[in-house]
Amino acid sequence: MYELVHHIADVRLRVAAPALEELFRDAVRGMYAVMRGASERDSQPVQRTIEVDESPDTTALLVDFLNEVLNRAQIGHELFTDVLFTRFDGTSLTATLSGIAPASFEEDVKAVTYHEADVRREGEAWTTMLVFDL
Amino acid sequence: MKLTDLEKINDHLWEIPKSHRPDMHVPARVYATETMLQSIVQDRSLEQLVNVCTIPGIRKYALAMPDVHEGYGFPIGGVAAVGASDGAISPGGIGYDINCGVRLLRSSLTLDEIRPRLEKLAHSIAREIPSGVGRGGSVRLKGQDLDLILRDGARRAVEMGHGREDDLKHIESGGRLDGADPHVVSQVARERGFDQLGTIGSGNHFVEIDRVEQIFDEEEAARLGLVRDGIVVQIHTGSRGLGHQVATDSIKGMMKAMPAYGITVADRELACAPISSREGQRYMGGMASAANFAFANRQLITAGIRRAWSREFGDDVVEIVYDVAHNVAKVERYPDVGEVVVHRKGATRAFPGQPVLIPGSMGTASYVLVGLDGAMEQTFGSSCHGAGRTMSRTKARTQINAEELRGRLRKLGIIAEAGSSKGLVEEAPEAYKDIDAVVDVVARAGIAKKVARVVPIAVVKG
Repeated sequence: MYELVHHIADVRLRVAAPALEELFRDAVRGMYAVMRGASERDSQPVQRTIEVDESPDTTALLVDFLNEVLNRAQIGHELFTDVLFTRFDGTSLTATLSGIAPASFEEDVKAVTYHEADVRREGEAWTTMLVFDL
Repeated sequence: MKLTDLEKINDHLWEIPKSHRPDMHVPARVYATETMLQSIVQDRSLEQLVNVCTIPGIRKYALAMPDVHEGYGFPIGGVAAVGASDGAISPGGIGYDINCGVRLLRSSLTLDEIRPRLEKLAHSIAREIPSGVGRGGSVRLKGQDLDLILRDGARRAVEMGHGREDDLKHIESGGRLDGADPHVVSQVARERGFDQLGTIGSGNHFVEIDRVEQIFDEEEAARLGLVRDGIVVQIHTGSRGLGHQVATDSIKGMMKAMPAYGITVADRELACAPISSREGQRYMGGMASAANFAFANRQLITAGIRRAWSREFGDDVVEIVYDVAHNVAKVERYPDVGEVVVHRKGATRAFPGQPVLIPGSMGTASYVLVGLDGAMEQTFGSSCHGAGRTMSRTKARTQINAEELRGRLRKLGIIAEAGSSKGLVEEAPEAYKDIDAVVDVVARAGIAKKVARVVPIAVVKG
């Protein structure tokens, strides 16, 4: 699950999930909720595979992964709503993204920042905060 | 941060002493009135400013301008100078939108002459200059063409026919930062930027037609060609996706490299590397390239505005008053600290005699200032860059009604050409600080003097 949290200029997203892969997937969905597509009804479905290697730790892996998702979104004018991991360890991953190619987005995310990002176990859940630069 | 953590230096300057936290190399200073300070401590701006004081090689103090608000890593409205030989460069101290900046144009027309065709003009500008998200421009650069823009900035845009040689005299650094190295700009950054030249983007970026409402300094106004009731145009945008990706690539690279240089930072967004290191030099080359892309972007937008203007008003000449960057790092020399690299994130260079352009929000005034000697003595030649937000985008969307806002702007005589209602309400006047109060602090501190106050009559945004 994810929720938007107050930030004065940008977007702050709190994400929590019972497993790490789910945390990553929910973060992708949270980013989609921020960007949204205009006229999504006529959008074509798209699927992309991305790889992220050699991130220093799991927090960095999440931010690096989301920035790769953002690159695909910005370059291909695509938005992603789901993700399937075929490789996933603490510092690298391979993922297949599924989504749509809308005519334009509602919001421009410039970057996913490392600011406040901290993937950690809290009780039964994995949690982190994410700040998107708008 | 509590108000009691700050020591008052005078009515508009406060200091967080070096003793506030053991890892601070220098104190932090904030330009603000006590009233403004009470608002500033509500967010994390000053905690972020204290973090900036830990950057290796930082000189004198980290500074917050009166428009400061919370960012990530550095606060927005932050200034920090690091030694050019022993300091570290931090991409987060420049921000993701490298060379986001403001260009001011002037027309020879008056309000009475422009008013009958204003709506048509605003619409024509909106058609010439794509705004919003995912909309590319008419110029698509590939291969060597993009490299030449990255190397030569606005100069290359002029060579391509998007302006006049004389335009370059009225742009900070002549519209071209030295030291650009296009080869370090990644393929992904190139792909994000190749179709974005000549586009505004979204968020707080805009093209705005303004009326000069008030002149404070007749001599300086005459030097800049500004007259009361004259018409000017502001362009606020930056390096678009290309610059965002240069920043992302650099922060990622520096985060990996920091352990090798024995650097730890309080916030990963402050990731940095010695300026002389491979990572530091790559960033400087990439940042200058992205800054040049931004100068070229504002040059192409100027060309679009001139085309729209020409259709409505024939041969009225639209001239550039000045173009300033407010997200950039520059090598500069000061008598007391020698050669430094000045990080400005949401802060404008304000060298003596240089025009300083301070855009307000849509619906409120903007200012033209001129830098003073006090800026060189106090702020590494820097001033504020805008009003600064006080309300989050989310809150603005829930509290402000787009139609009510459009009506309110209409009553103020302001035409709004906005791509989306969401984009409009997020930038409503009440989401920003009082720009008059922000500029008063800068003027009273002797950083810059007021030349003109301009008010909007038409806004084009994403």
